[in-house]
Amino acid sequence: MRFLGVRAGPRVLIVLAFWAAAVLRADAPAVYAIRNARIVTVSGPELPKATVVVRDGLIEAVGEDVAVPVDAWPLEGEGLTVYPGLIDGLSTLGITDESALAPAAARPSSRSSVTSSPPGRPAAGPEDRPRTTSWLNAADLVRITDRRLESARSAGFTTAVTFPARGIFAGQGAVINLAAARSGGLVVASPVAQYVSFSSGSFSEFPGSLMGLTSYVRQLLLDAGYYRSAKARYEKNVRDAARPVYDRALEGVLAAPRILLPAQTRTQIARMTHFAAELNVPVVLYGVHDGYRAAGVIAKAGVPVLVSLKWPEKDREADPEDTDSLRVLELRAYASSTPHALAAAGVKFGFYSGGIERPGDILRNVRRAVDAGLDRAAAVRALTLSTAEIFGVADRLGSIERGKIANLLVTRGDLFEERMKVEYVLIDGVKYLPLPEAPPREERQ
Amino acid sequence: MKRLCGLLAAALPVLAGAGDTFLLRNVAVHTVTKGDIANGAVYVRDGKIAAVGARLNLPKGVRVIDGAGQHLWPGLIDSGTSLGLNEIRSIRESADLSEIGDYNPQLRTLVAINPASDHIPVARANGIAAAITLPEGGVLAGQAALVHLDGWTWEEMDIARAAALHLRFPVLSTRPSSRFSRETSRGTPYTDARREYRRKLQALEDFFEQARRYRKAKVANAPGFKPDVRLEAMLPVLEGTVPVLVTASRERAIRDALEFAEKEKIRIILAAAEDAARLAPELKAKNIPVILGPTFRLPREEDDPYDAPFTLPAEMHKAGVKFAFASFSNQFARNLPYQAANAVAFGLPYEEAIKAVTINPAEIWGVADRLGSIEEGKWATLIVTDGDPLETRTQIKRMFIKGRAVDLDNKHKRLYEKYLARP
Repeated sequence: MRFLGVRAGPRVLIVLAFWAAAVLRADAPAVYAIRNARIVTVSGPELPKATVVVRDGLIEAVGEDVAVPVDAWPLEGEGLTVYPGLIDGLSTLGITDESALAPAAARPSSRSSVTSSPPGRPAAGPEDRPRTTSWLNAADLVRITDRRLESARSAGFTTAVTFPARGIFAGQGAVINLAAARSGGLVVASPVAQYVSFSSGSFSEFPGSLMGLTSYVRQLLLDAGYYRSAKARYEKNVRDAARPVYDRALEGVLAAPRILLPAQTRTQIARMTHFAAELNVPVVLYGVHDGYRAAGVIAKAGVPVLVSLKWPEKDREADPEDTDSLRVLELRAYASSTPHALAAAGVKFGFYSGGIERPGDILRNVRRAVDAGLDRAAAVRALTLSTAEIFGVADRLGSIERGKIANLLVTRGDLFEERMKVEYVLIDGVKYLPLPEAPPREERQ
Repeated sequence: MKRLCGLLAAALPVLAGAGDTFLLRNVAVHTVTKGDIANGAVYVRDGKIAAVGARLNLPKGVRVIDGAGQHLWPGLIDSGTSLGLNEIRSIRESADLSEIGDYNPQLRTLVAINPASDHIPVARANGIAAAITLPEGGVLAGQAALVHLDGWTWEEMDIARAAALHLRFPVLSTRPSSRFSRETSRGTPYTDARREYRRKLQALEDFFEQARRYRKAKVANAPGFKPDVRLEAMLPVLEGTVPVLVTASRERAIRDALEFAEKEKIRIILAAAEDAARLAPELKAKNIPVILGPTFRLPREEDDPYDAPFTLPAEMHKAGVKFAFASFSNQFARNLPYQAANAVAFGLPYEEAIKAVTINPAEIWGVADRLGSIEEGKWATLIVTDGDPLETRTQIKRMFIKGRAVDLDNKHKRLYEKYLARP
């Protein structure tokens, strides 16, 4: 009986969560038509007054002379703008499992069960696969119960590329929609990339230095390449060759079609573009705040990048008597001009939230990039189609086109105006209203 | 064996005691306070300077030392070292530098000095004849002593056993302590760091208040008065006979230290004040001397001028602040003259650089009646050199401490000779 009671607890919660999700869905007809709206298709020209029809979760038609089908639920779009749903290019949205999220543990004692190195002994080399959980798959980890999905939706996001974020090879990312009836329904594409971070561990564990980290990433990718060919050789002739030893770390690396490498400063960008050139797997750089003065390097390398929207700012908890170095001040002043520089150099780039706590701040920070010269159309593209292209899902996401997934953002006012208001979003053709705006924290206290 | 005999012969006059009286003549005398005498003489009697001049009439039978082509200077003073307290830091048995606990004003470094330290002869070989030995650890670390760098026991080395009380002023820091932790943690939030800082300042003020009450009770001969060595050690500080050497490097710490001194009405000497240039007018107005650390260091902030540590002494001089140099080291105390030389290269007048290792420290430590220059009545703590003592190529030919010739042999020299003689 007690056993049943324990089991029943979470189930009741999940049912409640479903019920809550259902309530938030204002209504769920299968067909919507938003008419008389300004439609920013991204892939094509902007339509000042047009109609978009959504049926069974897909975009059925878009255009100026599209008729509203008889079975459609008409939505008046006069004075509203329709964008493709925004995509957060790198996040942990939907993942609530702490062991996949916490920053890489510095102490071996806090190592969780998902780490591969043998317990009780610190990693001594790449063979111990230190801080590697490349086999973790965001698609398996995302849960509709994550409260952050709701607040991201309220900020206009319908989609995110989400990753386990702990360790050096943290795991495989998935493109997810930010609402679904069941957790499995969130996943749009998986796996789309392997997330690599250059987080330093403890003194007593390999790798403890930058050179060690670099060599480890290189070695694991080399091992993965060898592993693949060894497996292929074995499959061709299973009788005469010993079977390759199964290695989940390498399986995890091979599963992902591309890897994400961190590059924030100019030096790191130069280092990583060099590194990318020697790897035989497509690379996406993320961070890139120094990109305003490294755009040429990135363009030459032909690597797409994800720009963190968490622009560097003075720490509120900093000592007021600490003087910031010119380097830091420059980065703070110019980081938000990076998107403009990248666009001018012809670099393909997307945006990601980069740990911004309040989703409302995400668009505010995009506005800063626009203020720094980024073309508005390019800004929208970086929040939608470019990110979809970077992760290979442009065939189904990122623009308002016939046949694509019906992820739409409907706003009152232009996306980059201070007074812009999210009216609702459609995710897989289902309408979600934003959360009522939370009053500022000071007033609540 | 032959070498040993030679050493004995050299040491004989010292042992006989006759060495304390001699005439050094035909030497360029650099008095520091009273100008230079190109071809002068100094008469030393019983360890003190009895006469200085171009020509001296002396009683017969006085031992004469000819200094042709050589220069005579006062022995140099290093105003902050761990000489004799700390031989090899990572060998615990050889380190006697700090005590556990925040308030240990009763600790006397003088008695902890190891006169046989190998660092002492090395420092002597570069002309350093006297040094401040600083205790570390806690807030009130203990009493710094001014010592001569020669003696069989600490009693023989003693110049001023309580030259200053060392106060390591509390630091407000939000930055992680090490490079490694800087990568993994963001440091302490400012509000927390400030709270902790204020708590420490309060504790320091409380300790002074406690000492003040102790003194009142003692003076009043209050019944039930309980002697306390820690508070007893504070009495000379409260009475103003012993200054407080305050280590404070950043601007805020220096400012707060000045305020603290004002409030507690204590006499202070500022040490290791890297940001002193920003508060120079205040230091001058309050007549607070400064002990400057090594010039060979990196500028503290990324955007500081590369020569900020080099120009600091010149800026202090320009502002009229009295200062002296300190190595704040044991094995690198030998670099003290070059520290002064660097400051000269970056704008400090040469005479001021010399003063900062001779008469200035003597004045700051209250022994200018005995040390710091070549004047009648002062101790014959002297060096004979073949040139400018701030030059690296200059050899220190002789050193006298209170008129006694000091052995200039040292570990570096022995190693030099050993490997030079290698077949």
